[in-house]
Amino acid sequence: MSELSATVMNLPRRDAQDKLRGRTKYTNDRVRPDMLHAVLLRSTVAAGRIRKLDVSAALRCPGVRAVATGADAPGLYGIGIADHPLLAIDTIRYHGEPIAVIAAETEKQARAALAVVVLEVEPLAPVSTMAEALQPSARLVHEGWRGYEVITEGGARAGNIAWEAKSSRGDVDAAFSRPDIRIVESSFTVGRQNHVPFEPRVAIGSWEDGRAHIQTSTQVPWTVRNVTGRVMQLPPGRVRVTVPPVGGGFGLKFDASIEPITALLARMTGRTVVLENTRQEEMATCLCRENAEIRIRSAVTAEGYIAGREAVVLMDCGAYGGEQVFLTTMTAHTLGGNYRVGATRLVSRAVYTNTPPNGAFRACNGVYNTFALERHTDEICDALGFDPMEFRKKNVLGDGDLGATGQVFEADVLGPMLDRMEALRASTGTSEAKADGRLYGIATTVGTWFVFVGPSAATVNLNADGSATLVTSGVEIGSGTMVQSLPQIVAGQLGLAPDQVIVREADTDAAGLDVGVGGGRTTVSIGAASVAACAEVREKLLRSAGEMLQTRPEDLVLRDGRVEITGRPGSGMSIPAVVAHAQATTGPVTGSGAFTARNTPAMSGCAMGHFIDALDIPVFVVHEAEVAVDPDTGHVEVLAYRVVQDVGRALNPRAVMGQIQGGVVQGLGYALHEEVTITADGRIAQDDFETYRLPLAQDVVPVAADLYEGAPSIGPLGTKGAGEVPILAVGAAIGCAVARAIGKPVRQLPLTPPRVLRLLHEREPPPEFPHIAPGWASNTLG
Amino acid sequence: MTVIFQLNGEDCRFDGDPMTPLVDILRQERFLTGTKAVCREGFCGACTVHVDDEAVPSCLKPIGLVQGCAVTTIEGLSSGNQALHPLQANFEAADAVQCGMCFPGMVMSLSAFVRDNPHAGRAEIKAAMVGNICRCTGYERIVDAVADWLDQARMAGQVVRGIHV
Repeated sequence: MSELSATVMNLPRRDAQDKLRGRTKYTNDRVRPDMLHAVLLRSTVAAGRIRKLDVSAALRCPGVRAVATGADAPGLYGIGIADHPLLAIDTIRYHGEPIAVIAAETEKQARAALAVVVLEVEPLAPVSTMAEALQPSARLVHEGWRGYEVITEGGARAGNIAWEAKSSRGDVDAAFSRPDIRIVESSFTVGRQNHVPFEPRVAIGSWEDGRAHIQTSTQVPWTVRNVTGRVMQLPPGRVRVTVPPVGGGFGLKFDASIEPITALLARMTGRTVVLENTRQEEMATCLCRENAEIRIRSAVTAEGYIAGREAVVLMDCGAYGGEQVFLTTMTAHTLGGNYRVGATRLVSRAVYTNTPPNGAFRACNGVYNTFALERHTDEICDALGFDPMEFRKKNVLGDGDLGATGQVFEADVLGPMLDRMEALRASTGTSEAKADGRLYGIATTVGTWFVFVGPSAATVNLNADGSATLVTSGVEIGSGTMVQSLPQIVAGQLGLAPDQVIVREADTDAAGLDVGVGGGRTTVSIGAASVAACAEVREKLLRSAGEMLQTRPEDLVLRDGRVEITGRPGSGMSIPAVVAHAQATTGPVTGSGAFTARNTPAMSGCAMGHFIDALDIPVFVVHEAEVAVDPDTGHVEVLAYRVVQDVGRALNPRAVMGQIQGGVVQGLGYALHEEVTITADGRIAQDDFETYRLPLAQDVVPVAADLYEGAPSIGPLGTKGAGEVPILAVGAAIGCAVARAIGKPVRQLPLTPPRVLRLLHEREPPPEFPHIAPGWASNTLG
Repeated sequence: MTVIFQLNGEDCRFDGDPMTPLVDILRQERFLTGTKAVCREGFCGACTVHVDDEAVPSCLKPIGLVQGCAVTTIEGLSSGNQALHPLQANFEAADAVQCGMCFPGMVMSLSAFVRDNPHAGRAEIKAAMVGNICRCTGYERIVDAVADWLDQARMAGQVVRGIHV
């Protein structure tokens, strides 16, 4: 396939030099002296009722140009359920919730005015944990939950349960009643993970010709547009969102948060307004990967067949539903993934608490569900005496196997990937010698995730100088898709060099709908839309060239910047000559393309309350970790790390390897030392770089990776997203390796030295969930 | 208070609170936004600049303490169309950059380090990076690129100490 050979390459990043020189202007580098600065008044209690809010004195302060409160933007937003106000209205639901915002000539003046806002709050006892929230007598975090607009139908909801998704396939009760099975039950608990993008959430809003224009550091400009329209009660078309280079996202910027506030203030003042979270605000109100509680039971025969499996997953959505409402869906595809199972039923509940709302984070709940499933699998192997690798080889999903929702998986992928891991290990060798007297453990784990497909649009303009302009709503967040895979794809389709492809940064006024950069979807979805746009361009170009060359279009090819007659290199004419002719005869050469989900079917009646019933593009990983545990300190050193990743087709293998290294290291942080705890008064305790321990250079090892190509994918050229999944199975591999090293069950992350010491000395109590009923069905809303 | 210092080779005068962090002067008054204010507590290293050839986090440097000093920012390391510093060139060639926000500080820290430690190996390079956090890359490519540059420089017989940064 010449198209492939013209597309696959280790193209360097076009944005690297400016980034290295400090010239790239991220959103927070675009502050100008004539802008107003906005600061937020945030709640200092976790729950309460606003009894009085008087901003009149603040309005009279020097330099203050506007003060806004919830009454100025009364619309609610959310995913699935519209439960979230832009600024608290009457009720405070978390510590740090924005209540009012002040715009002034300088940040200092705005902060001075904050001090004179009169705010009287009647504090309420916060609902701090999911255990509290699920008590029958619990106070409702959202008293008016029944009245909220339901944006997506289908989920069960009640009281503090923001959303419930269930999957059920086969007769699980019968499987657990079989005489020839053993039942293994495990419980796991995990904390939150803070994304810590180096650029915090920041937006610059202006009001131009009766419309809002927001420049912001987001992964989803269309969500910012739509949410701004919602909360300001404007048609979303009156909001324009443009996106400069983004200084890291990792999922945090997959939802709107503070951006609409700048539009509101711009409308009030007629001025351009900047609002940037301080680092403390950013960390204390981070839409973290959620804390979760998982109970999983399996019925396994002596031969190692998993006859039945059931699980309850509680996901803390914090004060508002947000992404967790959607992510309840992913339990069926992660806990329900990896292995062939006879009958299965899974319930996943997003639970409201009076804590900062959570959100999306790279591979989201897949990370902890995979940790839970893989540790549970090892507990099955321990209980029944199976070799963990042999058990996995025997049971991983293969061609024709059913997922939890009845989806039929295509092709054997995980099995061959396990073989490839053994080959990779043989080539790298193992590192047991480096343990040097410490406790050594090695574990191989598997993971199932997906590409979040969904709608994307692309326009390609072919220019008379032979360049092409690609217009999409894609955003460069650092993963390289906008500077590597997309220009590679367009160049490959049109016979150009990638540096001839100009990539327009996202502007919702210029490009069509897109559901964002995240979920491993950019190369796949925007890439597929781009291929479709190129097809139209190519058709027009070849038709014009056919006229000029007196040749049938089907006998022409695009190659090296020329339209050539097939099989005659150097024949024909240059693309610019054809474009010039077309412009003069039929008009400029443009094409548009669109892509969306294929909606792969699930089995009827198996999926309830799901946003995605079946995976259009499953993605698999195999991760292997070697660790050494110091029995005196509990410190875990990662000695070696290996990955075999299902990439479909690697368009830029070097860039994919960079994503794997970075994603694994974020996972090591999650597995070992990134710990978020909530204080008694409802705050995130770790709100700076001193208390939140990020991975440093000395903590990491070079990841050895093998890219597994050829698994089926509807992505262009057979691609799958490669940037999201490298974090998927890190908690699993580290958790399993540490458990083997210390000979104790690991049921909680992160594995900080104190926790590992407690495990070693059997002083770490196992997770117990009195709020999860023994009978599975009692944990559902029926 | 008035502070006179050199900024990227030019005289610079500041009038105001001597406790103002240098990073704020650079970004807000001189529009040198290549210096990134990320944690503002000296942990992340994204705001690293050279003060009299030493790499320091500019968030922890009160402007009053740079009186008479020479400050070099990332913009001054290789300005205009000048060639990249060899470390920058190696980072570009290795496809090490992702979101890119840590890199100006990473370059400023490591350019001082390689000047002073021409024989450093990977372990020393990693130790030197303890004050520079990267959330995207997982570090190893950065370490490789620095080690490669030191190898190249040694093989070329260059005196690394002689590189003016």
